[in-house]
Amino acid sequence: MTHFWRNRKFLSIAAQLISVFTVAIVVFILWDNLTYNLELLGIGFGFDFLQSQASFDIGETLIPYKPTDSYYSALLVGLLNSLRVSIIGIILATIVGAVVGIARLSTNWLVRNLALVYVEVLRNTPLLLQLFFWYFAVFISLPKLENQISFFGLINLNNKGTQLPFGLEISSELSALILGLTLYAGAFIAEIIRGGIQSVARGQWEAARALGLKPGLIMRLVILPQALRVIIPPLTSQYLNIAKNSSLAIAVGYPDIYFVASTTFNQTGKAVEVMLLIMITYLTISLTISLTMNTLNRSFQLKER
Amino acid sequence: MSMQDVVIVAENVQKWYGKFQVLRGVSLTVHRGEVVVIMGPSGSGKSTFIRTFNALEEYQQGRIEIDGIVLSDDLRNIDAVRREVGMVFQQFNLFPHLTVLDNITLAPIWVRKWSKAKANEVAMQLLERVGILEQAQKYPGQLSGGQQQRVAIARALAMQPKVMLFDEPTSALDPEMVREVLETMKKLAADGMTMVVVTHEVGFAREVADRVIFMDTGVIVEEATPTNFFQNPTQERTRKFLSQIL
Amino acid sequence: MNQNEIIKWLRKNLFDTWYNSILTIVCVFLLVWGAKSIFTWILFIAQWKVIAVNLQLFLVGRYPEQMYWRLWVSIFIILGLTSVTIGSLVKKIPNRWLPLAWAISFSVILWLIGGGLGLQAADSNLWNGLLLTLVMAVTSIVISFPLGVLLALGRQSKLFVVRNFCILYIEIVRGLPLIGILFIAQVMLPLVLPDDITLDRVLRGIAGLTLFSAAYLAENVRGGLQSIPRGQFEAGKAIGLNSIYIMLLIILPQALRAVIPALVGQFIGLFKDTSLLSIVGLLELTGISRSILAQPEFLNRYAEVYLFVGLLYWVFCYSMSLVSQRLEKV
Repeated sequence: MTHFWRNRKFLSIAAQLISVFTVAIVVFILWDNLTYNLELLGIGFGFDFLQSQASFDIGETLIPYKPTDSYYSALLVGLLNSLRVSIIGIILATIVGAVVGIARLSTNWLVRNLALVYVEVLRNTPLLLQLFFWYFAVFISLPKLENQISFFGLINLNNKGTQLPFGLEISSELSALILGLTLYAGAFIAEIIRGGIQSVARGQWEAARALGLKPGLIMRLVILPQALRVIIPPLTSQYLNIAKNSSLAIAVGYPDIYFVASTTFNQTGKAVEVMLLIMITYLTISLTISLTMNTLNRSFQLKER
Repeated sequence: MSMQDVVIVAENVQKWYGKFQVLRGVSLTVHRGEVVVIMGPSGSGKSTFIRTFNALEEYQQGRIEIDGIVLSDDLRNIDAVRREVGMVFQQFNLFPHLTVLDNITLAPIWVRKWSKAKANEVAMQLLERVGILEQAQKYPGQLSGGQQQRVAIARALAMQPKVMLFDEPTSALDPEMVREVLETMKKLAADGMTMVVVTHEVGFAREVADRVIFMDTGVIVEEATPTNFFQNPTQERTRKFLSQIL
Repeated sequence: MNQNEIIKWLRKNLFDTWYNSILTIVCVFLLVWGAKSIFTWILFIAQWKVIAVNLQLFLVGRYPEQMYWRLWVSIFIILGLTSVTIGSLVKKIPNRWLPLAWAISFSVILWLIGGGLGLQAADSNLWNGLLLTLVMAVTSIVISFPLGVLLALGRQSKLFVVRNFCILYIEIVRGLPLIGILFIAQVMLPLVLPDDITLDRVLRGIAGLTLFSAAYLAENVRGGLQSIPRGQFEAGKAIGLNSIYIMLLIILPQALRAVIPALVGQFIGLFKDTSLLSIVGLLELTGISRSILAQPEFLNRYAEVYLFVGLLYWVFCYSMSLVSQRLEKV
């Protein structure tokens, strides 16, 4: 006679039911508290506020914006700013990371160790602190326009920002943010690239040398393609980190999506709606980056029997 | 023979993996002290069959009774059966983070609730029985394959099981170590342990088995004493199989 | 090293090819120029008074001076346990009492710092600076540890609801920036909890950090769990252990051991991430720096303060990364 409380099929079903029940109860209690508290504070739930006037100005915008525009416009401006920072950051950090990563493998002792110092210093200090340093200690402490620092007349640095060739002007805030993000992520990417290159078996190097190929060609045709297989997954994580770390723009006053959303919350008190907007934005960005990189990853996998 | 002499009764056991039927009505009776060897090509279901005896594999139809306990969905029955059945795996499956001694005493302490002293004493006796007493404080990673498998045998014996199941115990060993494990198993049989062994080792079957069984495609094709099995197989399929391995 | 050996080394490491030689010369130029500028700045231009005057604030904030002895005792305990742990790891003699000793000292140190139960209480708002950073980082990692393990186990569960809840939680938390999580913790927690429970800022900060860290920890542990061969589970079942015993005695010890380097890396990350709490108003090391810089007398001392604070963070993080590299070799 099998008692039901010892029957493993029964227990399995019971466990399913109990877990559904428990989760449902917890969610219900939290939801109940939430609606109660929201009512108490007089904040309803709804996204209508997005149409209302934002009434705050935004320092830098990629599209035209006035304080009389809606919250929706403001958030859109923030989103575009976030995307701008993320994309530029990813590109520049990859370049910096590749250069430093290869430098870490140089036969030149000085180059190798300078790269090591760069990596170990930047990886072991908080990004936020580095951003504060770049913004406060460097960029807004730059001399005024009359005394600006100039690199061959092509790149000018002054306390209003950076002037690049082709008429591009970047504010101090954006300069600090991009520089900080790039150098920080570049340190991690350097180690990823170094690890990837080192993971390619020594035999590959030797076989290529034996064939008479020069080091530059070996790197390009034999080593890097194989190294990329190992590099792409952790590189994806770093790209995701760059996109997420762009939210620290609030620390230097650059109006990214988080900054704008946060200001929106301060003005409207719409905690849940703002939270949902932030979540959806960042999750979408993360998902896009992951999917893109995963497709790239698949094309690099070795075709095996 | 009285009913208590029967250790394993399997009646018309059938098992499906999804749509594929891997056991198609297998029946077996094993008496106390018997050594039964099961042979067959890979995919014949022989490993799956013996793994139903300690509920590592479920079965959908048929009946299995171990030492009088019916193997069903009743958790208490399953636990009771596992206490009475010892198993030795092809890949040893020793716990790498524990010493040899701790590997053996783990179950007696936590399942049979023995004291550490009693468990250690029994474990040392077993280590002596399988011939590697001096390795007691080493970790599995420091032992050879043959030594690891002997520890695995000792670990299974520590629970004082009524029957020992062996799932291709020497298939993962280098040739020079196969002998030491087979010797240990022969000693075990001589001591009267009931054993069901899935193996390709014909020598072992000839010397020690009371019965040899040939399984193919989920059914028992032939069952005979070693002499009859190897010299006068009655089934065509058995003959074909033997011609490949002898 | 005699002169010949030095020249040989230089030839091999710095000047072996023409482009390496050029690189070396360029680097030496930059290094000399950089070093000169930096040292000139450090010794003559920078005003280090801001650090000297506020050292106490940086390190322990407004923690009452008469209770400093409690901090010294805590440091003593930590140093003692650390040397014992390192000794046992290096000599490969596992000490069974160590994990228990760490667990007990964690509670003891919290009691020493915070007070209550016989000691005079020290209001958590007074814990600032490096002290707060350490307390928050350690508390978060300690609480997120069992949480992360549970999440990892839940993610492997056969129960549909449990598994998908864990997957959702892990993927959502990992897809959001920490500042978003902290925002949610600071703003949403008061809204979803009943009125009578109020959490002070520090607790909400710890909650945010913990929820964040648990998701990443879960992924690390999951990697470790997946590396355990199925045979281990089967051997456990075959000798009669039930699922809980198998998990506790066989699977988890092996899985956790495999992920220790990743765990230390995570702790380093968490330690750096405590700096984000300055944005939600907490006065840990970064936060207290900003408030010191806001004082009129120290208004433009950004470089001095941020370099000093950066050095503090660096010392901790680099030491931990050295420990992690050492652990990987064990």
